[in-house]
Amino acid sequence: MINLEKIRDIAKNTVSRDDIKYLIGWRQGTYGFRVSPHFVRKPEEAEELIFSPLCSNNLATYLTLAEKRPVPRGQQPDTRKVAVMVKGCDSRAVVQQLVEQGIERESVYIIGCPCEGVVDQSKLEEKYPGTFGQVEARWENGKISLCFPEGKTEVVGEELLTQKCLTCRYPNPVLADINLREEVAARGNESFADVAELEKKSTKDKWSFWQDKFSSCIRCYSCRNVCPMCYCQECILDKLNPTWVNRSVNISENTAYHLARAFHLAGRCIECGECERVCPVNIPITKLNRKLTKEVTEKFGFEPGVDVEAKPPLVGYRPDDKENFIL
Amino acid sequence: MSENLEPNVVAFLCNWCSYAGADLAGTSRIEYPPNLNVIRVMCSGRVNPLFVVNALQQGADGVLISGCHPGDCHYMEGNFYARRRFSVMKELLEYVGVDARRFNMSWVSASEGAKWKEVVSGVVDKAKEAGPFTEFRRNKIDW
Repeated sequence: MINLEKIRDIAKNTVSRDDIKYLIGWRQGTYGFRVSPHFVRKPEEAEELIFSPLCSNNLATYLTLAEKRPVPRGQQPDTRKVAVMVKGCDSRAVVQQLVEQGIERESVYIIGCPCEGVVDQSKLEEKYPGTFGQVEARWENGKISLCFPEGKTEVVGEELLTQKCLTCRYPNPVLADINLREEVAARGNESFADVAELEKKSTKDKWSFWQDKFSSCIRCYSCRNVCPMCYCQECILDKLNPTWVNRSVNISENTAYHLARAFHLAGRCIECGECERVCPVNIPITKLNRKLTKEVTEKFGFEPGVDVEAKPPLVGYRPDDKENFIL
Repeated sequence: MSENLEPNVVAFLCNWCSYAGADLAGTSRIEYPPNLNVIRVMCSGRVNPLFVVNALQQGADGVLISGCHPGDCHYMEGNFYARRRFSVMKELLEYVGVDARRFNMSWVSASEGAKWKEVVSGVVDKAKEAGPFTEFRRNKIDW
């Protein structure tokens, strides 16, 4: 069971510490099933914190988005830590950022939130259309109970969980300084069944599948902006000289964009599914990224975001790597 | 596909081995298909996997990346990195539905003029079989 009082107490104690700059958590959104990120700077702001099945946002994104202003002359830079609440999948993002030295271990305080699975917003809105009042949700014995503002309570099961949660292997944070609750059991194991299914199709069918998906892309770059692993200071997509991907929105450039993003996430994607959640045209981006995760796991035996000591696979090599694809 | 299609093949050759190998094939007067557009790079490790996507966008029907044999790299380890990258990139291209015959990689050393001929004929034949690439080629807009 989740005890919100306990979570808020821990948050208050954390924010009161001298070496913590702020804490990133979740709070109830303004309407419906929405949940928004909450930056706690003062202990009293911790009263708004929640942790519920609606908290699907991956807050690890904000660790690398923090603005680094130049320090005025004569002042010392702020070296305090940022506290971040992470679910199991989010903690893998933090670990992968540590592996890539995108952040430093000393600059982050990880509050682990073992998670029994989060709800898919689109499935919820399909089932309960036109819900505008704030809905509260919590886990109860493997089920999820939703408390609607009019007082009605509904209990729903696994069918509303996101796809990633149904095969989740890391419900408990891989790396955490403090855990909010007892550990929960893993739900499934990785078989890459959806990837294998698409792999079996013919070249033509594969292209018609992706053509259909890519041609609907409006290139809003939400998937890039929400991604905890897309933290390059200068992204090739923003560069004009050289122009890697043209600005025009057509099937050619959209494909180039998606291939570029997928390749840049090869062996780095931790499958939090945020890209797919924010996509306004429902492109199955994780299906693309999971293919590369599968390849990297099979070829180089590397699983992203699990081991802080690991070396990223594509910045290294082994002399005996397989080369059966070479003429 | 039409029998007399002349495919466009873009080849990224490393300066130290494959480019010299192609040069040797030329000076030895070995005949090989003229469909190749050679781009000389200093090392196969310099070839960004997005070059392949870009080449396909801009009108290539096939892509060839060629470098030194593993262990012979002028920069010690460039081709090892390239091998890892392109083994992943190849899978990605096949997964989105680019014909597997369009992407090729080979090791050709500076002394292998005869092998160069074999490689090029193979690549051009495969590109011919696969036909013109239309999936995500960049369309020229005729205003």
